[in-house]
Amino acid sequence: MQTLDSPAVGLIDSPEASLAELPDFTSESYKDAYSRINAIVIEGEQEAHDNYIAIGTLIPDRAEELKKLAQMEMKHMRGFTACGKNLGVQADMDFAKNFFSKLHGNFQSALSEGKITTCFLIQAILIEAFAISAYHVYIRVADPFARKITEGVVKDEYLHLNYGQEWLKANLSECKEELIQANKTNLPIIRSMLDQVAEDAQVLYMDKEELMEEFMIAYQDSLTEIGLDNRDIARMALAAVI
Amino acid sequence: MFGLIGHSTSFENARQKAMELGFDHIAEGDMDVWCSSPPQLVENFKVVSRVGKVIEGAYIDSCFVPEMLSRFKTARRKVLNAMELAQKKGLNITALGGFTSIIFENFNLLQHQNIRNTTLQWERFTTGNTHTAWVICRQLELNAPSIGIDLKKARVAIVGATGDIGSAVCRWLVERTSVGELLLVARQQQPLLDLQKELGGGKVLTLEEALPDADIIVWVASMPRTLEIDATNLRNPCLMIDGGYPKNLDSKFSGTGIHVLKGGIVQFFEDIGWNMMQLAEMDKPHREMFACFAEAMLLEFENCHTNFSWGRNNITLEKMDFIGQASLRHGFSTLNLNQELQAAAA
Repeated sequence: MQTLDSPAVGLIDSPEASLAELPDFTSESYKDAYSRINAIVIEGEQEAHDNYIAIGTLIPDRAEELKKLAQMEMKHMRGFTACGKNLGVQADMDFAKNFFSKLHGNFQSALSEGKITTCFLIQAILIEAFAISAYHVYIRVADPFARKITEGVVKDEYLHLNYGQEWLKANLSECKEELIQANKTNLPIIRSMLDQVAEDAQVLYMDKEELMEEFMIAYQDSLTEIGLDNRDIARMALAAVI
Repeated sequence: MFGLIGHSTSFENARQKAMELGFDHIAEGDMDVWCSSPPQLVENFKVVSRVGKVIEGAYIDSCFVPEMLSRFKTARRKVLNAMELAQKKGLNITALGGFTSIIFENFNLLQHQNIRNTTLQWERFTTGNTHTAWVICRQLELNAPSIGIDLKKARVAIVGATGDIGSAVCRWLVERTSVGELLLVARQQQPLLDLQKELGGGKVLTLEEALPDADIIVWVASMPRTLEIDATNLRNPCLMIDGGYPKNLDSKFSGTGIHVLKGGIVQFFEDIGWNMMQLAEMDKPHREMFACFAEAMLLEFENCHTNFSWGRNNITLEKMDFIGQASLRHGFSTLNLNQELQAAAA
């Protein structure tokens, strides 16, 4: 049903003005926030690299494939490092390491226990969804150089096969229980990471609401891809709220 | 596969429905959670036409609620994300229901064709306005005589005459019926004068001037919330066709001789195994639906995978004929006054 003349929507006319707005990339407040956001992105790509190499030790016959994936993440890391340099920003790597520490710890203990499912849930589902969703939001408000880099990264991510997703899909019947349990532990961490970064992201004109929505879309897409149904996904997503 | 993109009529209804469907994480969330909730494909169903053609469809809830109308960015995202989901799910033709197409049009979302890694293919979407316009015209022709209005003598006010649906209704009434006179009402003068010229007739009036003069009033603009009308000034009998969204005319008007009909609503000849029309608060949710939704079904029945209704003022009489004939053939009928009375009595 349409009423294009509807006065009910008159109060939200002329939204164009807010569309093209970009932040001032040279301001001190922007650079300050960017030092942490940029560091998170760099650290995230580094973690991805290390995690895929580590998972390769659990699935030796796939180690080569995972190594290629890891190399791609390394390339992304270098790209994002260049973005910070381009703006004259020193990435706050201590902050970023601390930011990832809980997930990092959970990944390491899963690794030491040989829990492939949990490792993939953390890296191939949660961290990947967190990254890609943030990149999508960032592209819309990034400086021209960083936009180009980030667009390239996103393109890569869609081109390469998400190996973890494929593995979970192929092994879903055996790994479902562990997957749900690992999700329950780790999804709330992602949620609090989003909360933690919200203020800095806002300085970069990235809305928390939009970040969360993009994350949920990417997360749902991954879970659908590995073969879970709407009800399973709804139940798993609940862990992000409570 | 055809698709329908819809939403709940209020935040409260939306939460209740989400709970029933098992989407607890969204149901329990506050407005912020809803603003960041992605669209959901909540239902798949099969529909068999009166001539035996079988099609499959899906209902996507955009997680938009009318309370978000004032949040431009949120509303925009809800619509685009729902459209992206429809395309990702491989739906051939999807109708934009409720506020979805209003947001699309008013926010000029045509400029946002790329959503993440998806380029929206506009031919997969339809506003459903052609069918809605045809249905409103048929409702007018069928129901006015039943309450003693002689169409040949009737003065018909079209409120929102210059809109996509309004202008199509005007064209149809002038070319295909013998209505006495058209009273053209809209907010902006110039488009009204252009329309009058195109039609070769019709009287341009303000709302206040038109209402007491009209035997039939077709609303295809939502009622201004502040508008107060003295029902005693209206003619008796008076047929009001509420073609706007949301449908709120019956609460504004009551009185002897005033007959309010929900405009742009159709009924399928048999029940459909879906639950989502309860959201739209239909009297018979298993067979009643918005004509715009029905248009997506008709286009799928007819293998017509083009954005049949798209852009503004592109609705021709030939298109209305096409969709109208398909509507009848596949088993749709328009909602009429006596059916509403029966539903109220039941």
